[in-house]
Amino acid sequence: MERTASIASQRHSRRRLRLSHDWAWLLAFVIPAFLVVVVVQFYPLAYSLFLSVQDWTLTKSQQPEGFVGLTNFTKVLGDSVFRRAVRNSLYISGGAVGVELFLGISLAYLTLGSRWSMRVVRTILILPMVIAPVAAGTMWRMLLNSRAGLFNYLLNFVGIQGPKWLASPDWALVAVILLDIWQWTPFVLVVVAAGAAGIPDELLESAAIDGASRWQAFQKVELPLLTPVLLLTAMFRLLESLLSLDSVYSLTFGGPGYATYTLTFFIYTLGLQNFNFGRAAAASWLFMAVAAGVIALVFWLHRRSDIS
Amino acid sequence: MNLRLPLRRYALHGLHAFALIVACLVVIIPLGFLALNSVKLEREFLTIPPTIFPSQITFEHYQRAFGDPKTVRFFTNSLIVAGTTTAVSIVCGMLAAYGLARLGLPAWGLSFVVFIFLFIRFYPRITTVIPYFLLMRQFDLLDTVWAIILGHLGITIPFVTWLMLVLFNDLPPELEEAGMLDGCNPWQRLWHIVLPVTAPGVASAAILIAFLSWNEFLIAASIARRQAVVLSIVVAGFVTDKGIYWGPMSAMSVVMIAPMLIFALFVQRYLIRGLMLGAVKG
Amino acid sequence: MRSERNNAVRVVTDDLRQGRITRRQFMGRMVAAGVGLSAINAILAACAAVEAPADPSAVSTGSQDAAAEAPSLAGSEITATYMQSGTYDVAAETLKPTFESDTGITVNLVAAPFTVLVQRNITDLTTQTGEFDVMSLSLWEASAFQHLQPLDDLVARDGFGEDYIPALWAPGGSVFYGGQRVGVPYSADAYGVLYRSDLFEEAGVTADWETWDDLLAVAETLKGKLPDNVAPIVFSFGAPEQSTAIFYGAYPGTYVTAENTWAVERDLGAKALEVVQRVADYGPSDALALSIDEANAVFLQGKAAMIICWPSFIRAAADNPEQSAVVGKWQMGSFPGPGFIFLSAWNLAISKYSKNIEAAWEWIKAYTNPQNGKDFMTTYGIGSPFASTYEDAELLQMHSHDFPQQKANLNRTKGVALTFAAFEIQFRNMGEMMTGALTPTEVIERWHEGWAELTVPQALIELAEAQGQKAS
Repeated sequence: MERTASIASQRHSRRRLRLSHDWAWLLAFVIPAFLVVVVVQFYPLAYSLFLSVQDWTLTKSQQPEGFVGLTNFTKVLGDSVFRRAVRNSLYISGGAVGVELFLGISLAYLTLGSRWSMRVVRTILILPMVIAPVAAGTMWRMLLNSRAGLFNYLLNFVGIQGPKWLASPDWALVAVILLDIWQWTPFVLVVVAAGAAGIPDELLESAAIDGASRWQAFQKVELPLLTPVLLLTAMFRLLESLLSLDSVYSLTFGGPGYATYTLTFFIYTLGLQNFNFGRAAAASWLFMAVAAGVIALVFWLHRRSDIS
Repeated sequence: MNLRLPLRRYALHGLHAFALIVACLVVIIPLGFLALNSVKLEREFLTIPPTIFPSQITFEHYQRAFGDPKTVRFFTNSLIVAGTTTAVSIVCGMLAAYGLARLGLPAWGLSFVVFIFLFIRFYPRITTVIPYFLLMRQFDLLDTVWAIILGHLGITIPFVTWLMLVLFNDLPPELEEAGMLDGCNPWQRLWHIVLPVTAPGVASAAILIAFLSWNEFLIAASIARRQAVVLSIVVAGFVTDKGIYWGPMSAMSVVMIAPMLIFALFVQRYLIRGLMLGAVKG
Repeated sequence: MRSERNNAVRVVTDDLRQGRITRRQFMGRMVAAGVGLSAINAILAACAAVEAPADPSAVSTGSQDAAAEAPSLAGSEITATYMQSGTYDVAAETLKPTFESDTGITVNLVAAPFTVLVQRNITDLTTQTGEFDVMSLSLWEASAFQHLQPLDDLVARDGFGEDYIPALWAPGGSVFYGGQRVGVPYSADAYGVLYRSDLFEEAGVTADWETWDDLLAVAETLKGKLPDNVAPIVFSFGAPEQSTAIFYGAYPGTYVTAENTWAVERDLGAKALEVVQRVADYGPSDALALSIDEANAVFLQGKAAMIICWPSFIRAAADNPEQSAVVGKWQMGSFPGPGFIFLSAWNLAISKYSKNIEAAWEWIKAYTNPQNGKDFMTTYGIGSPFASTYEDAELLQMHSHDFPQQKANLNRTKGVALTFAAFEIQFRNMGEMMTGALTPTEVIERWHEGWAELTVPQALIELAEAQGQKAS
C-alpha cells in the first residue's frame, strides 16, 4: 500500500497510454471525490487558515474580531504549556513508533507462512487495532489501576512490585506509550507481513545458495526491499500517533499535572474547551508545518531508496 | 556438531513458540479482562486483589444496555455509518484514483495531488470540527447520519484515492492496451480489467476504512444529538463528571468491539493479501 | 411555527390583561416570542382598554383564557439536553410520557457525555442555533450566559422557587447573568467528609472540626491508632480536577481582582495549597493514584477512616450491604473551613433563541420540583436542591447519619467562578505540585502567569462579587 511517492518517478519509465479521447470519462471519475473533499475538507481547512490570523474566541464574539497578523502564532509558541505539550508528544510518539516498528517487523517474521497455526496467531495479533481508542484507553486504565489493576497483580506473580502507573509523571508517560504500542503494533505487523510475502522466493533462495544466513538474507535482501514500505508506515504511524486524542483522553486525561498533556490535547483544549478558534487554528497549522515537513522528507527518502 | 544441531533447532523452535504465546497473551489478557468485567457484579470492581473471575456471572450490565431500545438504534447507526462510508469512499476513491492515474498529469502534478491528500488526511480534525458543524447546520443536516458519513468521507476518500493511485500506477500498461484496442471505454476497462487484478487491494482498503469509521468519535460527537448517535459516543458516556460506570462501560465496550473483532477474524486474510499488491517491487 | 408564536402571544397578552405582569415584562416577553415592535405596540394599544379592568366580565374572560393556557401549548415541540449519566437523563425519560400526555408538548431529550454536553451547549448558544430549548448546564457554560433567557418574570409569575435550600437559589447554586436569574437548579451536591463513627470512637476522637488544621489533627491521632491497612483519610487525588475542592475549602481569600482578572492572595493561597499536600500524607500508600471510584472503593471496603468526596456518588453504595463493608458505621461530618464548600449544581436554563419559551418553562417546572427532588434522589441518587427532601420524615429515618449535615453543607456551598481554561491551569499545576515538581508558591506563580492571558466572563465577575470572592 505504501508506495505513493514513487509514482512520479515511475512514470518516466513507462510508456504513456494515449488516452486523449478518454479525458471526459476520466474527469467525470475524479469529480465526485473532488466535490466531497472540497466541501468537507477544503472549506474548513481554508477557514481555519483564515482564522489563524484572526482574533476570535467564540464565547466573546460571534464573528472573528479582526486581523491580528501572526500574534496567534507567537502567543502559542511563547506558551510554556505548548512547549511542554510538544515535548510530551515527541516522547510518546517517538518512543511508541520506534518500538512498534521493531516489534511489528519481528512479529511479522515470526508469523511468516500460511500454516494454520501461524494464521491463527496473526489473526489474534491484529485484534487490538480494531478496538475503539476510547474503549482501549478506558480498558487500560482498568488494567493499570495501581490498586486493583490486573497489570501490577500479574507483575507481583513474577516478583516485581509494579509502579503507580497513572500517579507518577514518568510512568504515566510510559503507560501512554504502552497503550499506543499495544494498539498499533498490529498495523506495522500487517504491512510488513504483506511486504515480506510479496518478496519473490527466488531472491531468498539465491541468497541462500550464496551462503548467506537467514539474518544476512534479511539484512541484505529483504530489508532494502522493505525500506520504502517501512518509511511510509513509520510516517503514517508517527503522524497518527501525534494526532491521537481519544486514548490519552480516556487513559490519563493529560495528567498527572501536565505529564501526558500532548500537542493534540493542547489544541483540543484551546479549540473545543476554551473556544479560542484563532489560537487553536494557529497551533494546528504549526503542527501541519511539521507534518508537511515529515511527509516531504519521507517522500524524498522514498524516492531515493526507490532509485538506488 | 551433528548432535548439537537438532538440539539447537529445538531450542529455537521453543523460543519461537514462547515468543508467540507471550505476544498472544498480551493481546488476549486485556480483552479477556474487559469481557469478564462486563459480567461482573458492581461490588467486585476495584477490589484488592483484583477479582479476575467473577464469583457469579451477571448480565445486568447488558440488560441495562439493551433494555434501552435506543441502544439498538445506535448500533444500527454505527452499522449504517461504517457501511456507507466504506462503500462510498471505495467507489469514489477508486474512480478518482483511476482518473488521476490515467489523465496523464505531469509527474510533479501527481506528486502534488498526493501530497495534498496526505496533508488533508493528517490535519488535526479538532480544528475543523466547529467549521464543519456550522456548515452542516447551514445544510440542515445536524443530527443525521449523513452528516457523520460526509465528515468521515472527507478523511477516507483522500486515503483510498492515495492507496489506489499506487496500485493503478503499478499495473503494466499492456494490460489495458488490449482493452483499448477492443474499444472499451475507461469504465469498462476499470471494471473488467483493472478491478479484478486489484480486488484484494480494494478489500484491504475497505477493511481499514470500516475500522476507522466504526471507531471515530470526534466528528460523530459534534454532529449527533439524538437520532444519529453512534456507539463510540455511547461508550464515552459512561465517563461522567463524578466517575466512571465500569460495569455498563465494559458491557457497552464489548458490544462495540465484538462486531469488529468478528469482522476482523473473517477478513484478516484479505487485509494482508491486499496490502501485498504493490507493497514491494520484486 | 406561526401558530406557536400566536399561542405565546395570546398567553402573554392574557397575563398582561390580568395584571400578572407589567408592561415592561410584557414587552420583553413579546420580543422573546419573536413579535415585532410595531405589533407589540398594536397589542398594547388594544389592551389599553382592559388594562384596568372595570368590567367584571373582562376578568372572568381572562380567567377562562388562563384555564385554556396549558392546552394552548399543545402541539409544540421542545428539545432538552441532559448529561448522559444513567441518572439525570433516565429521570427525564421516565417523566416524558406523562408530561407529554398532560400538556400536549412533545419533548425531545438529548443526552451527551459530560464534556460533549458542555461543548454542545456553548456551541448552540454562541452560534445562536436555537436547537436546544432547555439546557442542562452549570457554571462551565458561564461564558455563554448572555445567550440565556432571563427567568425572573416566569419565576415570579408562577411563584416558582419555594423550598429551595437558600444557597442553591442564590447566585452560585443558580446561574445568573446581568443581575437576572437565567437558570434553576435541579441537582446539587456539596463536597463532604464521611467518617467511620466506629473507628473514631475506638480511637477516641470526635468529628467536631472547624478548620482543616483541626481535621488534620484528628487524622494525626488516628494515624497512630488505626490498623496498618486502614488510612486516616482517602481522597481522589488521581482525578486531577478534584483537589481544587480541598484548596477552596481551605482558602478564605478572593480570587477575582478589582481589575476583573483572576488572582489569588498569595499567602492565603500558599497556605491552602499546603493543606492539600498534607491531606495526601494521611492517605493510603497509593493516595495520589486514586480516581473517584477507587477512592470510594477504599472507603466502602473499610480501608479508610475518612473520605473527602461527593456524597451523592457514594451514599447509596455505602448503605448497601451488597457493596459496602461499612453499613451503619459511617456518618457525614461537617466540611472544614475557613474556605467554602465546593458545589456541583446542574441548572435547567432556556436558550434565548428558543422558539418555545413557554413550553420550555413548562418542562422545567415539571422536571424540577420538590416531589421530583425527593423521588430522583431516592431512585437515582441525584442530589436534591430542595430543603423538604432532607426534612422528609420517612427519608430521615434512613438517613439520620447524613441528611441533616448534607443540608447544612449545601447551604454553605459556593460556585467556583472559573472558566474551564482558568480551572485547568489551576488543577494541572496543582497536579504538578502533588508529583513534587512545583512548590506551593511556584504553583501560584504559574496560575497567575496563565490567568494573565484570560478574560473573566461577565457572569463570573458578577458571581464572584455576589459570593464575596472579588477583591474591592
